[in-house]
Amino acid sequence: MEDEKNHTGPLMIALQYNDLFDLDSISAMTASTNTDDAVPKDRAVTFIKAVQIVNERLVEQNKTESLLFEVILIAKECSEEIKMNIVESVKYYGLEIVKIFFCKKEELINTLQLNNVKLFLSTDKDDVYEVLHIGIPAAVLYEQSDDHVLNQLKVIFSGDVIGFSEDSLDSLSDFGFSETQIETFKEAKICMKEFAVLIGQMRRKFGQENSPLCICVLTAWGSTNVCASALKTLREWGLDVDEAFCLAGAPCSPILAVVKPHILWDGGLHNMRDLSAHS
Amino acid sequence: MSLDPVQVMKGQDPLPKTCPSASNGDSKASWDDNKDIHENVGSTKKPKPPKPENAVTIAVSSRVLFRTEKEQKVFEQKGIEEYLRYQVEHENEPFAPGPAFPFVKALEAVNSQLRKLYPDSEELFDIVLVTYNHAHVGIRLINTINYHNLFIERFCMTGGSSPIGYLKAWHTNLYLSADTEKVQEALAEGIAAATMFMSEKQIEVSETQLRVAFDGDAVLFSDESERIFKAHGLDKFFEHERENENTLLDHGPLKGFLEVLGKLQKKFYAKGHRLDCPIRTYLVTARSAASSGIRALKTLRAWGLETDEALFLAGAPKGPMLEKIRPHIYFDDQMFHVEGAVEMGAIAAHVPYGIAQKYPHKKSTNTGK
Repeated sequence: MEDEKNHTGPLMIALQYNDLFDLDSISAMTASTNTDDAVPKDRAVTFIKAVQIVNERLVEQNKTESLLFEVILIAKECSEEIKMNIVESVKYYGLEIVKIFFCKKEELINTLQLNNVKLFLSTDKDDVYEVLHIGIPAAVLYEQSDDHVLNQLKVIFSGDVIGFSEDSLDSLSDFGFSETQIETFKEAKICMKEFAVLIGQMRRKFGQENSPLCICVLTAWGSTNVCASALKTLREWGLDVDEAFCLAGAPCSPILAVVKPHILWDGGLHNMRDLSAHS
Repeated sequence: MSLDPVQVMKGQDPLPKTCPSASNGDSKASWDDNKDIHENVGSTKKPKPPKPENAVTIAVSSRVLFRTEKEQKVFEQKGIEEYLRYQVEHENEPFAPGPAFPFVKALEAVNSQLRKLYPDSEELFDIVLVTYNHAHVGIRLINTINYHNLFIERFCMTGGSSPIGYLKAWHTNLYLSADTEKVQEALAEGIAAATMFMSEKQIEVSETQLRVAFDGDAVLFSDESERIFKAHGLDKFFEHERENENTLLDHGPLKGFLEVLGKLQKKFYAKGHRLDCPIRTYLVTARSAASSGIRALKTLRAWGLETDEALFLAGAPKGPMLEKIRPHIYFDDQMFHVEGAVEMGAIAAHVPYGIAQKYPHKKSTNTGK
């Protein structure tokens, strides 16, 4: 087990600039010479603020804490003007972004790997899926309602990906999942583990109540036993879960709308949710 | 391998009999893993759960489905950290059945009948566990569900946040909880809800027929008449009812639930099961048949609803009647009646709605309506 490894150092999360900033406002800027800064999107801002709060609470407990979140921004294919704009906007809005990487589209994966990114967050599910497939941890930056103010970072792990054993995952082919999709779920499980171990260490520094981190497990397809299996596995990995949901095929969106997570780790399974409608 | 609680408690394989391997795919499961996936594979033992909007969704909290008094005490006396530690320690000890347990079992019995008659229909009861509890207790709850062979595949453990949002997301038709405040919140959101209490004495209930009993005023109907009675007394009440005999009463919080029960009943009638219908409903009211009861019946009729039996007690105590009926659940807005019923061993649930909550009944006076 990797519990013996000393997990220190920052937990780096990568965002893409088009998730953080409203693209329309950026292009409008390049048209005019008026330098109004690019407007950040609420969804990403709530995430960054939530991350900041976790860091603050961690540092409160231990001034020399090294296991903190770090958010980096990746911008693909940007003109010089947009690059400037992004840098200034980040400063202007006081967003705690540690580094900004400008790269070409093909360099995305490399950039993520080189910088030891522990989590790639995107609102684009296809992006997430592609990155996962290569074995880099990736999750969905989930849509939250804008007026929702949380002083808590909420992370959902997929109970299906974690709870199903290797063999059961294979049997998913009976239900319309392709080989590649199943491979991705398996990759996702491995990726999730690393992230879970780190977040578990963070979570343990806080008590049950008033924690800035909230860990949830959502089992969309599997039975309650799969969910129990996921809870136990996460516990083995050192991560205690706060909220658990078992849907047994019911639609995810109404539940997610109540949970309002920031990070949704579904291994690509969430995408395939609609497959069950073939019944 | 037979798994009885004693063996399970010895901390061996903590998983109950229907569980696959828990670890990271190290050991192969020795039985059909397909059981864990909710799609129709022809020979799956467990049928696919219905879509929430098609089903009659009953949300129950862990404290009414199971008996958790010991654990409650730990929570109240020693705080949440200790409570969660206790739960995890006792993870392999299943909870004993709580006050809502017979009701849930009866719902499942109705479901199996419905499935026989209408194998493709999703108009079934769907039981969801909606609990305030933290996911730490999850494994113990799942173990308990398996131990008692309950068919509950859906749950929400909200880790301390309000369950009300989830009730709506599940299209909940009825919410049962031990916590009056949450029940009141649910009622305020238009969801039928009631508080249940454990009793030491329990009369036996039918295993083949679901019996649901309702009080009239402030449960099926609004509390309009209760208000008159409380404010102006019995005579005024009678006068008011007489004058308004042909005016429909407004609906109460449980009207919707009676309605969905009625829909399911009609499905049985359609297949020739009127006399031996697995669902039976009762109206148990303090109104009297000769006078004030008429308005109640007319209202029900106008709504297109009916109960199989209507018992007008004209103020007589409800206990003996409930003992005869043996409902799986009886809904009443007055704590006094609920307590009386529970004392006799009947399963009663309190609907904290209407004027009776502000002016609780005093035991010394005898209500006669």
